[in-house]
Amino acid sequence: MLKYTIRRLLGMIPMLILISIVVFTLAKLMPGDSLSGEIDPLNTNPEYIAEMREKLGYNEPLPVQYFDWITGFLQGDFGKSTRFKVPVADIIMEKIPNTLFLGVMSLLITYILAFLMGMYSGRKPYTLGDNAIAGINYIMLAIPSFVAAVFAIYFFSFHLNWFPFGGSVDILVEEGTLDYWFSKLHHVLLPAIVLGAMSTASYTQFLRNDIIENSRKDFVRTARAKGTPIKKIYNVHILRNSIIPLVTFLGFDFAALIGGAIITETIFTYPGIGQLFLESVTSRDYPTLMALTMLLSFLTLAGNLIADILYGIVDPRIRLD
Amino acid sequence: MASTTTIAQQKKPERSLSPWQIARKKFLRNKLAMISSVFIILVTIMSLSAPFVANFLSPLPDVTKVNIGSMNIQPNGEHLLGTDKSGRDVLTRLFYGGRISLLVGFSATLIVISLGTLVGSIAGFFGGLVDNILMRFTDFVLNFPFLVFVIVLNTILYGIVDGLWVLILVIGVLSWGGVARLVRSKVLAEKENEYILAALSIGCSPWKVIRKHLLPNVMSTIIVQATLIFASMIVAEAALSYLGFGVPQATPSWGNMLSSANEPDVLQGKPWIWMPPALLITLTILSINFIGEGLKDALNPKSLR
Repeated sequence: MLKYTIRRLLGMIPMLILISIVVFTLAKLMPGDSLSGEIDPLNTNPEYIAEMREKLGYNEPLPVQYFDWITGFLQGDFGKSTRFKVPVADIIMEKIPNTLFLGVMSLLITYILAFLMGMYSGRKPYTLGDNAIAGINYIMLAIPSFVAAVFAIYFFSFHLNWFPFGGSVDILVEEGTLDYWFSKLHHVLLPAIVLGAMSTASYTQFLRNDIIENSRKDFVRTARAKGTPIKKIYNVHILRNSIIPLVTFLGFDFAALIGGAIITETIFTYPGIGQLFLESVTSRDYPTLMALTMLLSFLTLAGNLIADILYGIVDPRIRLD
Repeated sequence: MASTTTIAQQKKPERSLSPWQIARKKFLRNKLAMISSVFIILVTIMSLSAPFVANFLSPLPDVTKVNIGSMNIQPNGEHLLGTDKSGRDVLTRLFYGGRISLLVGFSATLIVISLGTLVGSIAGFFGGLVDNILMRFTDFVLNFPFLVFVIVLNTILYGIVDGLWVLILVIGVLSWGGVARLVRSKVLAEKENEYILAALSIGCSPWKVIRKHLLPNVMSTIIVQATLIFASMIVAEAALSYLGFGVPQATPSWGNMLSSANEPDVLQGKPWIWMPPALLITLTILSINFIGEGLKDALNPKSLR
């Protein structure tokens, strides 16, 4: 297991190098360059600009520029945002907590919903309730998340006034107070529900099928023969066995949340890294764009890796080699 | 002697159904899939007929022209679904939008399926080093965060190639990884059969074996996969257009129409502008998914229905 993990981790390195080359090439192919962010915008003297170009290394051959960028990147120097005129790392660090909060909340919602629905379906398979749950899940899986988000804002924010329709916190509340955290929670709830409720299908169906399969096993028969109440068999004996494999979905969710975050954050104008990414594309903020693309690619890679490793830990029958 | 011939005539040996005929029968009996098929056919007819019926749909058949005199009209007898903020008829745009959405979905699916099948079948059939190289490349493509790279690539290629085809190419080229893996695994299982050995032993070239023997046998998987990818490509187009990185704004597509919901004023007060495309996208995606499930059922020889 350890050997496999180490080998996979080492395997990530060439992948990351390749991705970094692709990201660098793409950034260079995009119109304009990031020079404008580094110089004094009021000084239009061509000599000054030429001097700064030279000083900042924009005249070097591309491989040298790539090498400069990647060594800086590895040391945590992501460059300076051309839009905000502050180090990219600072901007990303400012936005990441919001995205993490949204991600964790939506995962929590997915888990709770899927858990309840899966438990019910597994206990009473092929009944009306089970079919209804399967139907609902299927429809939620098919509806594109942005369409669901638009409808959610329309009904819950505008018509019922239950949730605010944008931002991550009320601007009037003071930071650090209890109200502040409630306001944050209030703002994150609707996007998290939309993001989380959409992906319950795979969890629910998996839990359902696993519970049905386990309920036919010998240990359940033994427990019943000994007179254990049915409720206890389902809630303790079977659930313990069925819940572990669910962990493996976590890694895939990780990667899926990234794509989801870009869309959901934009629709809900929620200030996270997804929204920052889109803004950096439209405002041609290349240092931010490159750093975010690398970060998101890395997270996707890490998510896939975690999924594979959890697979092996949870089910020892799967041989990883 | 005479009696035996009559028996033979009476009991004409009935030809048993071919696998495709069985599949068709099963599919026709699946109510949900049939309703969905009818819906998709209707949407297709609607989209294809857009330029011919535009004159009958509303007094403003031109979907790209801004009409200052008729902005934000609520649905009425003249404009059945009202007009948008540039004074363009929503119903007419819905018809034209279907053309773009379906075209993007269909072309991108074609690219994804062709690339995926090509890479997957070559990797699976030849195995060894070829397999290794191709699959590492597939991993590489699969590890890109899809939306992130589509948006970046789209921005670069915008203006170099015509907007619509940029989108088709980019989403097509970035999403074939899953199909390649699937086809490869199917080919790996299928090529162990004796008929492949037989075909090779009588001197068929590898290409002929792949084309004539392997692919027909993995076709059912590819068809089901193509349906599901068709749905996800329509979603991708709509999502990207909604974010403003898809089809150029001037061209009506369902995603572009929906993007007007970005303005709180439209979202809150003028639901007739964004609700029709939103509902149409959802229904189309649902129908395609139902058709996919129906096909999966019909093409699976083990399913009894």
